[in-house]
Amino acid sequence: MTAPVLMETTETPVGAETVVAPVDVVACAAFSAAGAGLAPLAAVADGRLPAGTEAGALPGDPAAYPPAQAVLPVSGFRPEEVLGRKGLSRLTRTEQLAAAACTLALEGPAGPAASDTGIVLGTSVGSARALAEFTRDTFVQERPYYVNPSQFPGTLMNAAAGRTAIRHGLTGVNATVSGGPLAALHAVRYARGALLNGHADRLLTGAVEELSAHTAWAWRRSGALAPGVPLGEGAAVFALQRAGSYGTGQRPVARLLACETGFANPSEGLAHVGRRLAACVRTALRRSGVAPEEVTVVAPGAAGRRGWSAVEDRALREVFGTSPRTLRVQPVLGETHSAGAGLQLAAVLATWRTPATERDVALITSIGPDGSVGCLVAVRPGA
Amino acid sequence: MSDRGTAGTATPAPRRVVVTGLGAVSGLGLGAREFVDAIRAGRSGIAPAEQFDTTGFERTLAGEVQGFKAEEHLRRIHPSRWGRSAQLAAAAARQAAEDAGLTEAGPAALRAASCFGTTNGESQVLEQLTAQWVGEGLGLLSPDLVEQADAGRIAAAVNAELGLTGEALTLGTACAAGNYAVGYGYDLIRTGEADVVLCGGADASNRATHAGFHRLGALAEDVPRPFDEHRDGIVTAEGGAALLLEPLESALARGARIYAEVLGYGMTCDAHHMTNPYAASIAECIRRAHRSAGIAPGDVDYVCAHGTGTPANDSTEVAAVREAFGGTVPPISSVKSMLGHTMGAAAAFGAVVCCAALSEGFLPASTTVRVVDPALGADVDCVPHRAREHRPRVVENHGFAFGGNNAVTIFGEFAA
Repeated sequence: MTAPVLMETTETPVGAETVVAPVDVVACAAFSAAGAGLAPLAAVADGRLPAGTEAGALPGDPAAYPPAQAVLPVSGFRPEEVLGRKGLSRLTRTEQLAAAACTLALEGPAGPAASDTGIVLGTSVGSARALAEFTRDTFVQERPYYVNPSQFPGTLMNAAAGRTAIRHGLTGVNATVSGGPLAALHAVRYARGALLNGHADRLLTGAVEELSAHTAWAWRRSGALAPGVPLGEGAAVFALQRAGSYGTGQRPVARLLACETGFANPSEGLAHVGRRLAACVRTALRRSGVAPEEVTVVAPGAAGRRGWSAVEDRALREVFGTSPRTLRVQPVLGETHSAGAGLQLAAVLATWRTPATERDVALITSIGPDGSVGCLVAVRPGA
Repeated sequence: MSDRGTAGTATPAPRRVVVTGLGAVSGLGLGAREFVDAIRAGRSGIAPAEQFDTTGFERTLAGEVQGFKAEEHLRRIHPSRWGRSAQLAAAAARQAAEDAGLTEAGPAALRAASCFGTTNGESQVLEQLTAQWVGEGLGLLSPDLVEQADAGRIAAAVNAELGLTGEALTLGTACAAGNYAVGYGYDLIRTGEADVVLCGGADASNRATHAGFHRLGALAEDVPRPFDEHRDGIVTAEGGAALLLEPLESALARGARIYAEVLGYGMTCDAHHMTNPYAASIAECIRRAHRSAGIAPGDVDYVCAHGTGTPANDSTEVAAVREAFGGTVPPISSVKSMLGHTMGAAAAFGAVVCCAALSEGFLPASTTVRVVDPALGADVDCVPHRAREHRPRVVENHGFAFGGNNAVTIFGEFAA
């Protein structure tokens, strides 16, 4: 006998479904293997890094990485130029990437007050390296509690958001969400809700992932990377405000419509998860008032994951028939786990730096090995 | 602030949100009933730690979940594939769903979500991976453990266990995360984004957390003594706590027992210091929660304190309450005196206690206080020693965290 379940799975739209209110990206910052900022990400749409991109330095001891593992560190990451040198060495790489991206996303026209400005960051476990090194000390030091107390806060998932808030005095909503490849979508959905429910007026929203020998070996051992896809890292942060809540002279980078997430248990079959993603996409399009044929570009999330890319592709075919133009960031930027959906959106926005001449609608999708699925609808601003 | 909550498209009228199910897997018992009875009786869940090797630690007590056999609590997910935090969350969520009478394929509520808070995620999994690194090298990390490492699996486990197909969100806002989760769930129901939400928090007892607080000198010598003049710190603890939220309308329609109504919540960030609490920011968080709930400070009959039992927390918290309440302090107590500090589950356990206090008519005690710290003010009523028979109408639940994350939830009695 199967256990009773709380809810029957349904793909039928339900009565309470509403069209969503828009939230706008008013500024954005990214760090990736393509370099710093949005502009270099434009080349990703052509399936390559920008010509002359310098290879980023490998974080930590290069010899500790698994042999013959292709890795793509962030290129040209010079945190001291954004954050200054003071205290920099005490920050984990996750904190440095997040703080630098948030700092850049705060630049530009003066926005809402610091008390109504906050941060919503997506992660997987925080800084895996900091966690591992801190915990190692409990095993190898003379006493298990002879750990470095100054490293303790950096082992927490919310360290990056907390430290960045201190740096800029941002006392508004400060949240950290965990969700593997969906992390940025969870962050956007959380931020959307917080903005529309009046908890904040501006939220620096995004996700971050750091590269380390620890995570590289974890990927190697799990065999979860798709063949030929390097392991990457990065951060993408979007300053979000309610549409209409900022100066009319300010052109948004993008307008975000529905952001939906859902779940299907993978132990009931991967096809089941794929169908859930398809349902999630249909819901998001309906709630955005967008017909499938209006979607001009899809940036899928599972292209770097063995076994999952096909599941995602099938879900997209189910919704679109012939899929719209597809922008795969993973072969170019590497699999960046919890930064993934953020960099997918950033790569789309990199191609939208001029006003739309025709309606341009992007769909960002993601699918996690735990059965989580999600998507986001973004619209290119007109002139 | 302008045009809050009204931007853009017309939204349906907000729905009232009620709690109709409770779950608790704790050092004070393996179900919400056992947990609440222990809280009312003032029992202690603190004992020698067994979840990690305490050799070499000077402080070796913890508030651990004793005798938890995951397979006896979980029906759909297999414990061998999930970390302990996910197991605790899923077990508590199943209890809450059963308590609410919503385990059978249900009424018209077809969109069910989960949101759970955590401080350390799958800390025991990460600890085992680190042990493998230290002992055998990174090249021999166990793939099975790697797959269990992400904190986001905590909410995923709840969805998998209960067959939920809605959102599964894990919040990593440290020791305030349980309240973040309740607040987010409240917004999902209120705005019609979901029709059922399982929310709460979970964390597992582990070596690294114990070592970190040990090194900071923040661990109590024996038990935590919130509000005591000689309080000397926390005791690390673990557990899973869950609440089932649904719209008032659906709870009434199906004749569900209603523990309490969620009236609102507030959040702030200190942006001040990573580990020291900050009274001004906590006071603002309380004011935001009051505004959100549409109540005045004088309406609050009881505060379920963050109350860790460190010297800094309790004095800062009382100062913040005093500031937000215009000089007075309502009865305020800490269930951490019995439970220890369950980290990301702490505020969710507090929320469970608040619901029980409203529906059963009691104020939980600060059981371990000996002499109330006079520096907190002579008027502080920390409900010393024994729970008090009293029927509060509005209660306030506190959760504060490293990183400066504060969240306060407000619950009210529901009179049919």
